[in-house]
Amino acid sequence: MTRLLLCLLLGVLAACGSAPAPRLPAAQEQAIAADRNARRALREGQLHNARNGFATALRLQQSLDDTHAAAMTLINLATVTHQLGDDVTALSLLDRILLEKTGIYPPESHLTATFRKSVILTDLDRLSEAESSLKSAEALCGQNCAVRPSIEVLQARLLVLKGDAEGALALAQPVSTRRAVGKEEQANAMRVMAVAEERLARYEAALQHFTAALEMDKALGLSARIGDDLGGMARTAEKLGKAREAKAYARRAALVNESQQRNNPAVR
Amino acid sequence: MALLEERDERFRNLFGKSALFVLVALLGIGMTFVWSEVKKGAFTAKSPVYFVADSGTDLSEGMPVKFSGFKIGKLSSLTLDDRGQVQVEVNIESRYLGLLRQDAVVTLIKEGVIGDGVLEINRGSEDKPVLEEGGKLRFEREKGLGQAVTDVKDRVMPILDDVYRTLHDPQGDVNQTLRNLRDFTNALNRDATPMMSSLRQTATNAEAMTGKLDRELPELLQKADATMDSLSKASGAVNDALQQSAPQLPEIIGETRALIGDTQEVVDSLSTTWPFKSDDAEPETGPVGMDSHD
Repeated sequence: MTRLLLCLLLGVLAACGSAPAPRLPAAQEQAIAADRNARRALREGQLHNARNGFATALRLQQSLDDTHAAAMTLINLATVTHQLGDDVTALSLLDRILLEKTGIYPPESHLTATFRKSVILTDLDRLSEAESSLKSAEALCGQNCAVRPSIEVLQARLLVLKGDAEGALALAQPVSTRRAVGKEEQANAMRVMAVAEERLARYEAALQHFTAALEMDKALGLSARIGDDLGGMARTAEKLGKAREAKAYARRAALVNESQQRNNPAVR
Repeated sequence: MALLEERDERFRNLFGKSALFVLVALLGIGMTFVWSEVKKGAFTAKSPVYFVADSGTDLSEGMPVKFSGFKIGKLSSLTLDDRGQVQVEVNIESRYLGLLRQDAVVTLIKEGVIGDGVLEINRGSEDKPVLEEGGKLRFEREKGLGQAVTDVKDRVMPILDDVYRTLHDPQGDVNQTLRNLRDFTNALNRDATPMMSSLRQTATNAEAMTGKLDRELPELLQKADATMDSLSKASGAVNDALQQSAPQLPEIIGETRALIGDTQEVVDSLSTTWPFKSDDAEPETGPVGMDSHD
């Protein structure tokens, strides 16, 4: 016991008196600072500043031959650019990783870039390209990668968009009940199920799924999706003949969308 | 023809000399004026660029526009358009226009915590074309002190409400504790008199004990002397034992070294752990979030 206490005491004294860690080279510190500033700007919703920060970080990382960091920053830059509505530039940034034939970027960056490209193509309604890209992501992922649930939800979303509502339900339902996938993807799966049920004219079930998705999105504070859920609820309530409720849902959706646009004008 | 003939040489060509003096003075004043305007940048070529702000709060004409800490222009006009948006014109020195790209962002910041507002402009992306005269910029507003105070207020007020509720709840812990304290004080007041008499009795007993100690102390001191003698003998025996165990000292030193090695390991582990870690926080890594519906 005494020996342990002595060791701890000496440890504390040595930690207090030890010299600070050596500083990184200036360019490397600048790259880290630019990346950190960009992430902070993104958290605060300053998307233009975030994009400029990631662009600076990328320039510095490439000048230092830090390909791992550069790949990550390319993905982040593409994500912010997509959020700003410039999907063409976002896709070209992701293609800089995907079309690089020399294999300088790490494999995990290929998986992330491929998946994000699929999401953007789906948003652009380029469904066959999105499907092809998603197949590549699935092949890179294997059975147990971190983005597997997201891939499954996106597959379900693509199926709904292509008119296969039953197939979408079958894919999304297991994801919606798996807690480990995270609340965002659970809510996304729930929304896909709601739209699929709506396509199948099962409006009661659709309304239930939209309500569940709304609760989750509210808990996550995702304004745009809250607006989508309320919009879906308004549509299905109207189909069910609940005109008064439908009107209330539609009004709430309009208020959410309007406020969200005002809070964050940079976002599409 | 002159009425009087001027004979004094000093007054010859007086009009010419006066005119020359006035001319030189005017020239001096004019040059000073021109020089001051040059220093103010009045003759520097400027190019107007525009942006739209959500509100004119904290924006004012003449506000400096800075790039990398240098003043490169100023806000020249603010107008409210038909849609209620604020149209802002800034004049940038033309020689600096080439430094800016078309996606450059103007941010309204404060110099210091409560300093004057300044428009800070960043360069924009390298791959975008250079900003041209009459171009449009994007505008963002930095969170100011007022926003920070509002954030703090939003966090502190619920806590204060909780404290208020706790203090004013008759069945709450605070009021219960105060009631218990009051009961305890009342009980103490009731029992104080018997307690004082008990204390007096204790003091009397202590006095009697002191007298007894005075009588028995010399005998105790003699016994202590004998004990010290025994200790001295024991010390001699320990000294002899140490002399005999001298060959084992290197082994003890080895064990001490092992102990120091263990200590170093602990130090290394601790130095990478809060609160002993002296370095900055590890930078965030990994891609920023994006799910299947972004």
